[in-house]
Amino acid sequence: MTDRDPQPDGGHPAGATDPTYAEWRQHLWEDQVLLGQRCHDCGHATAAPKAACAQCGSRSIERIDLPPEGEVYARTRIEIAPAEFDGPYTVALVDLGEARVLARLTGEREIGESVTLTDVYEGDLGPAPVFG
Amino acid sequence: MHQPHVVGAGMTRFAAHDRPLAELFGEAAVSALDDASLGTDAIEAFYLGNAMGGQIENASHLAPQLASHIGLAGIPCQRFEDACATSSNAFKHAVQAVESGRHDAVLVGGVERCTPETGLDTAEMTTQFATAMHELYEQPVGLSFPGVFGLLTDRHMHEYGTTEEQLAEVAVKNHFHGSLNPDAQHGREITVEEVLDSPVVASPFRLYDCCPFSDGASAVVVANESVAETARDQGADEPIAVQGVGHATDVVPIADKVDPGATQAARDAAEQAYDAAGIGPGDVDVVELHDCFTGAEILATEALGFFEAGEGGPAAAEGRTRLGGELPVNPSGGLKAKGHPIGATGTAQIVELVTQLRGAAGERQVEDAQVGLAHNLGGDTATTLVSVLEAGA
Repeated sequence: MTDRDPQPDGGHPAGATDPTYAEWRQHLWEDQVLLGQRCHDCGHATAAPKAACAQCGSRSIERIDLPPEGEVYARTRIEIAPAEFDGPYTVALVDLGEARVLARLTGEREIGESVTLTDVYEGDLGPAPVFG
Repeated sequence: MHQPHVVGAGMTRFAAHDRPLAELFGEAAVSALDDASLGTDAIEAFYLGNAMGGQIENASHLAPQLASHIGLAGIPCQRFEDACATSSNAFKHAVQAVESGRHDAVLVGGVERCTPETGLDTAEMTTQFATAMHELYEQPVGLSFPGVFGLLTDRHMHEYGTTEEQLAEVAVKNHFHGSLNPDAQHGREITVEEVLDSPVVASPFRLYDCCPFSDGASAVVVANESVAETARDQGADEPIAVQGVGHATDVVPIADKVDPGATQAARDAAEQAYDAAGIGPGDVDVVELHDCFTGAEILATEALGFFEAGEGGPAAAEGRTRLGGELPVNPSGGLKAKGHPIGATGTAQIVELVTQLRGAAGERQVEDAQVGLAHNLGGDTATTLVSVLEAGA
């Protein structure tokens, strides 16, 4: 069995992420759902799926749907943008409870203010969640 | 175990240069060898820091090319990439190679071009820099590097009450220090008002809160005690002992860091370096740290243990980190005023510490500097290296 072969149960190959980036992107784009992972061993949760838990290294991790509501953790108003983007716009770390996610933020929001996943930004480099 | 020393140091002026990488690096490397009073025959390995030559200059296999340019072809050569911490990582490997006895003397340095001399404008270079963040979960959002530190600083301001004026004081201080350094890109003093009147790049940072795009090169010779003695006999200035190098990483992307503003990799690398040197933060006389943005300097002075959480901003505003203050930070002008040619920055910090610890820094000399610390950060604070150097050891 190579690492490209599907597992007999139709799951993901050894060492791959569950969800894959393709699945993460598709769920965000089509269903406006943020997929994540939670570690069975230490409880760490993430919105950036990996092959192992980034905190404890465990490979015993499960796929979860992250909540569409959270609080603003930190913000930055980008006036000088990378070449692929048209500024200005606001980028924020949004605290979803057990995980944080990097997202676009609409409107003037304070740290600690409640926000909801309202849209998906579709740029050249891939989709990004939009909270407002 | 051998005692590694820096026996020679050299750099180009940091500025916009129309010279190619090889000519820039050649100037720094030959200066370092001449400063060490050593010929190329004394050098047993060459470690090069260059982060983005492949993507910016169509130049990727640079270590043997630059070795050949300065007459070092034949010895083992290696290029290191670690975002903005690139040449500190190369320096760490040079120190370890000498410490372990693998090599008696290693040339280590870095070179990079990031100004419009490369043909890339601000937006295009902002994109090049952004490649050092997560390409799936960070780049598509449109985050820039000023934005990364903007997020961390926004949170710091929220938690501790750090102000935009305190950020501006860091820029004013480092421009003052840069005005005393002939190798600095920005030699002009600025005021708090000028900083606060400058346009926003990524909030809370304005133009003068940000380091410039820079071109330049730096190099040092790391050698064991025997080569250090030879260099001294041949007329070199005082060798400076490397007492400890710490190197730590944190989780990527930034959203997954437990406490992003803590810059945990800096705390871990500092602990390693302090332990190896047998010192604590209170023993440090002079600091060169990674002030890519003014907020980054405030976070770093706290992470390195110089000030309590939330005290970094007030300390800068009170002049405690200015030349003549209790702990001068970035007497070279730092990344902010000296400049930040990515792959050259780490070893340039070592060049400044060696100059300071030899008492050869002229107008910007830190009085009675015996112990110096360098802090060099890469990516979204994912990587940090901390080095401790000591005179007379």
